[in-house]
Amino acid sequence: MNEKDFAELAAGAALHSLSADDERRYRETLAAHPEWQPLVEVDAAAAGLLAETAETVDPPAHIRSALLAQIAVTPQNPEREPDDAVPSAEAETRADAHPDESAAAAPKPRPRRWVRAAFALAACLAVLVGVGIGAVTLNAQLNRPASVVALQEIESAGDAEQATVALDDGGTATAHWSASVGKAVLVADGIPTPAEGETYELWFVRGDAPVSAGVFDVDGGHATALLAGDMQAGDAIAVTVEQAGGSPTGQPTTDPVIVIPTA
Amino acid sequence: MLVEMVIDGMDVPEDGATQDAVAELLVRVAGGDQAAFAALYDALSARAFGLILRVLVNRAQSEEVLQEVFLEIWQSASRFAPNRGQGRAWVMTIAHRRAVDRVRASQSSADRDVRAGFKDLGVAHDSVAEQVELGIEGEKVVDALSGLPEVQREALVLAYYGGYSQNEIAALVGAPLGTVKTRMRDGLTRLRTAMGVTA
Repeated sequence: MNEKDFAELAAGAALHSLSADDERRYRETLAAHPEWQPLVEVDAAAAGLLAETAETVDPPAHIRSALLAQIAVTPQNPEREPDDAVPSAEAETRADAHPDESAAAAPKPRPRRWVRAAFALAACLAVLVGVGIGAVTLNAQLNRPASVVALQEIESAGDAEQATVALDDGGTATAHWSASVGKAVLVADGIPTPAEGETYELWFVRGDAPVSAGVFDVDGGHATALLAGDMQAGDAIAVTVEQAGGSPTGQPTTDPVIVIPTA
Repeated sequence: MLVEMVIDGMDVPEDGATQDAVAELLVRVAGGDQAAFAALYDALSARAFGLILRVLVNRAQSEEVLQEVFLEIWQSASRFAPNRGQGRAWVMTIAHRRAVDRVRASQSSADRDVRAGFKDLGVAHDSVAEQVELGIEGEKVVDALSGLPEVQREALVLAYYGGYSQNEIAALVGAPLGTVKTRMRDGLTRLRTAMGVTA
């Protein structure tokens, strides 16, 4: 799609007048062309001005009281939390809180230790949290269409969230997810290429055992990967280095290099 | 001497060097500041409610949508980026989007003919300006709209106040979809120019 076609869509988008199909095309195109974001902003500003021609009407007082009561108990999207260490510690405590139950069931010491190690790693990593933006702006080198589509699905959901961790060599990895969409996408920047015969594998860390979510390639330090399978509430997202093709055992064989808690 | 304008209860210095007061409130709301949220509500709820009512007409539904809008603002305030636009426009965009979503979900096309959007088409400049609560910006926008070619104004008004999709507008006015898209694009561009909105 060229810029003129996009500009046409952008006008309809600013006025909330696009069909569902056009809205999807618009969002996918914007995700693939972050350089067109300024066009979107001027149209949004113009459409926003149209609101000024609506008269002001005082709403009934009960709405104000209801809202103030509601926000006191409603969490916000945690896109600007400076420190994610507390949730990790809580998760670790939860994992430790039921040792008797786990011993009574068929013991799985290796996955449980792995989970503990994973959350300890998360607590140690400096967690930077991405700043939320009005529309999706992505690294221009995204080249995995299925991931882009999933990413825009996630970002257009009302409950989209994201969290970023710093990688050892100065890169970053950002997980994007939405509970309502049930998907998660990992975007990594400045991630080292794995050695010959090795690959990165994704995991949903759920309860005692990590669940494989597929493998992904790195291209020039960048990767965008849609985690395979449905994401469940509370899943953490982890990455390990495995042999090419993924771990033959279905469980991680190494300690995670990336861990991103989502709760 | 700075003449203070009052826009919807917020003092704005008239020399144009407006700090974006709404943006500052949104940043505080994003940090969990409930008092800032209350101030934001007090500043903008009447305009947002008026807009929602214009689109929805139904009072009960409008009240529900107003509450949903401000709850969304509370939850997603961190998505507002001050360097990417005015706070007020961000708030009004959410209000407009939710109003349009609601009107499409709850009213069939046939019912919507009688909604305000369609009646607005014939509105002359003077009768709109009679509304007491039209601020300085509102007057400018009405001026700008009345300067558009009629078919472009029609497309914008049906979309914005009527909440009609481009397909529905094409059916309503008897024009091809592509023509409606072009009119909407050109109309919005002219509006931008008339209002001095630049990239």
